[in-house]
This record gives sequence, structure tokens and C-alpha cells, in this order.
Amino acid sequence: MVNKNSCSGLDRRDFLKISGAAGAVLGTIGIGIFGYESGKDPLTYTGCEGLQGIAQNFNRGRFTIDGPPHERVGPTERADARSEVIFSRFSRLMRQWNDEKGIEGLDDVLKKYYKDHPEDLEIDLEIRREIFPKRMSDWRKYYKQFILAEAWSDAMGSVWPPGIHEAPEKSDFPRGPRYGEPRKPYKMKSAEKTSRLIKEMAHRFGAALVGITRLNPDWVYKYPMPGRGFDPEKRIEVPSHWEYAIVVATPMSWDPMYANPNYGTSHDAYSKSRIVAYRLAAFIKKLGYPARPHTPGTDYDLMVPPIMIDAGLGEQGRHSVVITPELGCNVRPAVVTTNLPMKTDKPIKFGVEEFCKSCKICAENCPSGAISSGDKVVVRGYRRYALHSSKCHNFWYSNLGNMGCRICIAVCPYTRKSNWIHKTALNITANDPTGISHRILTMLQKKFYSGPDPKDYYIPSLGGKNASYRKPPWWLRTEDFIEI
Amino acid sequence: MNSFFNNFFWFVEGIFVCLIFIGFKRWMKNRGVRMTIWKWILFAAWLFLSGFTIAFITTSIGEGEDRAALMGGIIFGIITIVSGVGIWRALNIKGKVSNER
Repeated sequence: MVNKNSCSGLDRRDFLKISGAAGAVLGTIGIGIFGYESGKDPLTYTGCEGLQGIAQNFNRGRFTIDGPPHERVGPTERADARSEVIFSRFSRLMRQWNDEKGIEGLDDVLKKYYKDHPEDLEIDLEIRREIFPKRMSDWRKYYKQFILAEAWSDAMGSVWPPGIHEAPEKSDFPRGPRYGEPRKPYKMKSAEKTSRLIKEMAHRFGAALVGITRLNPDWVYKYPMPGRGFDPEKRIEVPSHWEYAIVVATPMSWDPMYANPNYGTSHDAYSKSRIVAYRLAAFIKKLGYPARPHTPGTDYDLMVPPIMIDAGLGEQGRHSVVITPELGCNVRPAVVTTNLPMKTDKPIKFGVEEFCKSCKICAENCPSGAISSGDKVVVRGYRRYALHSSKCHNFWYSNLGNMGCRICIAVCPYTRKSNWIHKTALNITANDPTGISHRILTMLQKKFYSGPDPKDYYIPSLGGKNASYRKPPWWLRTEDFIEI
Repeated sequence: MNSFFNNFFWFVEGIFVCLIFIGFKRWMKNRGVRMTIWKWILFAAWLFLSGFTIAFITTSIGEGEDRAALMGGIIFGIITIVSGVGIWRALNIKGKVSNER
């Protein structure tokens, strides 16, 4: 019996035939696509999965902006690395401080800084007066718990290309044929091709993310960090060959990062980013162009986060760390400055600014109170979120395990593994101009992914419990491997 | 999951979903429920929600986020059950079994 469909005039047999034929065609196409994808899948390059730019998989094109990504509100000023970078200021203070002479015993640079920021002096001195002694006492009691974490961190930081101690006019340029480097730069075919080549090389050298921008001189330090070949008391004249900045970034290991502040380390990504930047500089010099790496830990002549933003890798978060779509803020960047002509990337806006306005999870979870819950402030002519670096730095010495903290990175809703839950949340927030999803997801984040009370992150002598945001991975649990 | 198993997983999962739809259609026919396009959409949405709830719980466990798994299980689980009962009523599924086979 033939069942005629009154609407289409199609009987069941015809329908089945057409469906079967369509299924066969679509199935064949599907198998073809499956086969092609399986054949070219980068994950099949066993052992080299991370060296092919697979991590940089966010479609930035839809989120690029043409204007500058930083809100300039007045005359700008460059940062003085001698006093405004906490590492320089603190080591300088420790060398010069004398209880009897007080602030008058400091050099002019520190004297001026602390007169302008009197609250920072007390906070910086707190490390020496209170935190160091208590930390030493707690270290003797509890250090065994962190033996594996420390060993792992030291091992990751043990491969560390030596720093550059010469001025740019000497160190940046190819040294000529005697050293296997050309006397004159090779003529590149196009800026687009060069840009593509440099990015591919950066990935093959180990970068998870790479972006290129023109260097804004505002991001170069006014006075240098020590040991970079500059006269420490002389203002830096930005070298004319620092036209472009290539930013490379690598993530810290995810599981220890979630177990901050005690078990994570910055050394793993510092070492990787440093190696990538040095390799990239060597590659560029082989093409005959000058190149200078600016790398972690403190071998910089410039501020990296705003350059990272200019290069389209991410946006600044409330915690001042750059948030990338792929890795959240679990990134450690490095920069290579050069005059190799390249096509630059555009900055992106993918919802971070709006999200950070209402989220505030990092501020609520910061044990030191260094992250503000308030609005942006003007810093050297730009409106931005500002981190209280003295408070942040103090907490580095107020916990055991590996140096540093990184809790703001671990708790940030953007710093999540690349699974379907978090990728979906990222895509929703990036495409929601109303901000409704931001508030819903922030609420879920607070309920679902809460951590210890921020006070518990401190050492016991400072009122804490040696807490970590998450448990350490099995391979960092000393008590499971060593008799203690 | 490597790419082969990932692709293979979705292939098998697709077969299972087809079987669910075919089975559901037959079951509704036996119970004498006439399925309109809106009923099919409701059923598909509920199926998606159920899958989401299960996947959220298991992904969170795999991620080591036990609290997220528990909270997600409770919140999304309740939504799934309540909406399931609502859809059951909306589809007007009665105990009556149709003679049509």
C-alpha cells in the first residue's frame, strides 16, 4: 500500500529513498571531512602539540578595535623603574634603610618617592620589621610540606638564558659575519609575510600566544631597571630601532597554579617565555635586524602589560594582570623590540572591561587588599585599574611555599581550563553587550568555585592557616613521597 | 581526549540521539500522543538540558571542582526534573495505550 502525503505528494517509499540517498551523500562527505581533519590534525604530531600555535585559537577578528585600547586623560609620563617598580624600590630601600636616619638617610630617588607616597614606606618596611622574622620562624615549622613544590619550582627556573647587560646600541645589533650574523639586513618581501613568519617561529620556539604592535614610547621606563646596560641615573632615550614590539606569552602549569599561593610557581612560565624571547631575538638578528629581549624575572626596559594589550593579546583586568581569551590571566609574557618591518595586530575588546566592573572576585579574594574594589584611577596620564604593589609584595613574604602569590590569577573567572563549560561562558560574556550574563556568571562563579577565607592564606604566625586555593596535584604532595 | 576518540565519540553519540528520537516517537505513538513541532522542540530542549546537567557534573568532577559539581548537580538537576514534569504534562502523556501499532 502506498501512503500518499497530502501536502507534499511524497509517498513513504520515495521519502525513504530520498532520505537514504541524502544520508549516503552526507555520510560520504562527513567521512571525507573526518579523514581530512584526522590527517592534518596538529595533535597527531606527538610530542610537539604545544609548538604549533594551537593554543591561540580565539577568533580575535570579531573583537578588534581601531582606536587606542588605553584611555588617555591628560599629559602622560613614563614610569621610573628605580622607585615605581616594587622590586627595584624594595631592594634599594633594604640597602639604604637606617632606623636612626629614617627617610633622610635615603637617596634622592627614594626620598622623593616616599615623600609622595608616605603610606608605602610603612608597608615596605613591614616586611623587614614584622614579616621576615615571623616567616623565618614558621618556615622552620612547616617547610617540609613544600619540599616538592620548591624543588619543582627551582628545577623549572634552572634553565635561564643569561641577562643582557649592555646598552641597546651595542647588544641589540647583529655582530657581523664573524659570528654568523649578516652585516646588512635581508630585504623582506612584505610586512604581512614577515609578521606571519615571526608568529610561526614564536610558536615553534614555545610561545602559546604571540602578538605584534608598534611600540608606544610611553611604556618604556623613564629611568632603567638595574643591570640592563643603561646609566642607572640617566633618563632612557628610547632607541630609534625599538619600532616594533613582539609579545610572546606562555602559561604557568595549571594544577599548581590553582594551588597558589603555596604550590604554584612563576618560574616555569618565566623560564619558557624567556627562552622563547631569546630564541626570537637570535632569529631576528640572523635576518640582519636588531632585536632585544625584555624578559621575566626583572630584565625589562619597559612595561609589558600595556604592550600586550596593544598587541591584541588581551585586556587589562581589575587585578592589573592582562586577561587573554585563551589562557585567562595565567600568562607570563616577554617582549622583543626590533625594527624588522611587520604587520601589526589590533587591540581587542572581548567584554573584560564590563565584566571586571561587576565581578570583583579578585579584590574579594586578595589577602593583602592590594586590588581595589573601586573605579579606575589615573596613573601617569592613563585611566586604569591600579594595583597597590607594596601591599601585594608584602604578601609574597607572608606565605610559605614558592615565592609570590598569584591568587588573583587562580580565582579569576577567565583563568579556567579550556573545556566546554568555560569556553561557552567566555563566548557568552564576549558577545553580551547588556552585561546580564556577566552578573549571572559572576554569581555562579562565586557559588560554584569559592575558595578559602583570604585570611587563611597567611602563615599561622600572621593569623592564617597556610591555605591554598585548591589542593596541590598529587606530584607536589611531599607527604606522599618523602618521610617527613 | 585525542582527536580520533573525540570524533568517534560524537559519531556514536549521534547514533544514540537518533535512537532516542526514534524510540520516543514510537512510544508517543503507542500512547496515542500526537507530536506537533512545538512538542518536538520542547522534548529536544529538555533532552539538551538533561545532557547539559550530566555533562556539567562529570566535567566539574573531572576538573577537580567538587563543589561546582555538587552545586551544579543540585541547581541544574532540580531545573531538569521540574521542567521534565512540566513537559510530561504539556505533552499530555496519559496512561492510555493506543491500539495502533
